[in-house]
Amino acid sequence: MTNAQQFETFMRNYQNMVFSTAMRLLANQTEAEDVAQEVFLKAFERFDQLHDSPTVGGWLKTVATNLSLNHLSRYRSRWSFFSELSVSNLEETGENELEFPASESVEEELDKLERRALVGQALQKLPAAQRVPLVLYHLEGLAYEEIAEKLGVSLGKVKTDIFRGREALRKNLKLKLEAA
Amino acid sequence: MNPDYDKRLEAEISRELKALPELAAPATLVNRVMTTIEQRARVPWYRRSWQMWPVALQAAALVVLLALFGGLCLAGWELSQARATTLALYKAGEWFSGLGVIINTFGVLANAVLLAVEKLGTGFIVACLVAVALGYALCVGLGTVYFRLALAKQRELNL
Repeated sequence: MTNAQQFETFMRNYQNMVFSTAMRLLANQTEAEDVAQEVFLKAFERFDQLHDSPTVGGWLKTVATNLSLNHLSRYRSRWSFFSELSVSNLEETGENELEFPASESVEEELDKLERRALVGQALQKLPAAQRVPLVLYHLEGLAYEEIAEKLGVSLGKVKTDIFRGREALRKNLKLKLEAA
Repeated sequence: MNPDYDKRLEAEISRELKALPELAAPATLVNRVMTTIEQRARVPWYRRSWQMWPVALQAAALVVLLALFGGLCLAGWELSQARATTLALYKAGEWFSGLGVIINTFGVLANAVLLAVEKLGTGFIVACLVAVALGYALCVGLGTVYFRLALAKQRELNL
């Protein structure tokens, strides 16, 4: 097997993970594909060291996360301003709500795939200012402090944005929290 | 904030998000990457960035650059010590004496502007600054209204 063939197989094994990481952060298929391409081009440059490394998955995920954040930071001044407007609009009109009752009896009737698709949609519809810290916290397992450092914002803002993001998801998915 | 509510919300959202499956990468991704790799491989080494050069060439380039730098430093030192250099610098100064006239003209113009500002008074300058700030605020306001209207229009179209 040539180096190129080996790399192609390697890519096929990890492409979904890399693309998902970028897509969750960017919420844009074209941009996520561009970032995924950049990640694999970087991986190709270090393929000799990477292909038999046990930490390759983590390396790819970290690079995908960092490149996605770099991509967002290029447009941060624009999106942070307008994302706030988008949030207020959505909150005012409530048009972004998805019909998704989550009580246990109804939940059983729903197809799991459909449920996950709805959660994915709701996540993508969140403004970047809320979606990015939420994804970094829940899916990438970063601590609040690490998120604040990566995004270059205050710890308080990270906590507030994550809370707002969770609340928006809860409302959009019409989740009912069980009584304690 | 209710800490108990926050904890339950965090747990619930975490459960929902972690249950999300991996998204399928576009079928074109592998081809895009492989094509780019092939294109890059066809580019000769001297047209690639320095980091992509073979290690031996990187080392050779570094040695050559260091030698050049050392040579230039040495040449500069030798020239500064030579008497002919002093004469050459004096002649160059004569050739560029015309520049002094231009610099003086700019100085006079700058003084005239400062004088005009002093005569007009602080009130006028403050009024100008307020006008600029108002203009900026107006642009932001109009931009915001346009964005909201455009967003509303887009939502209507999506419904």
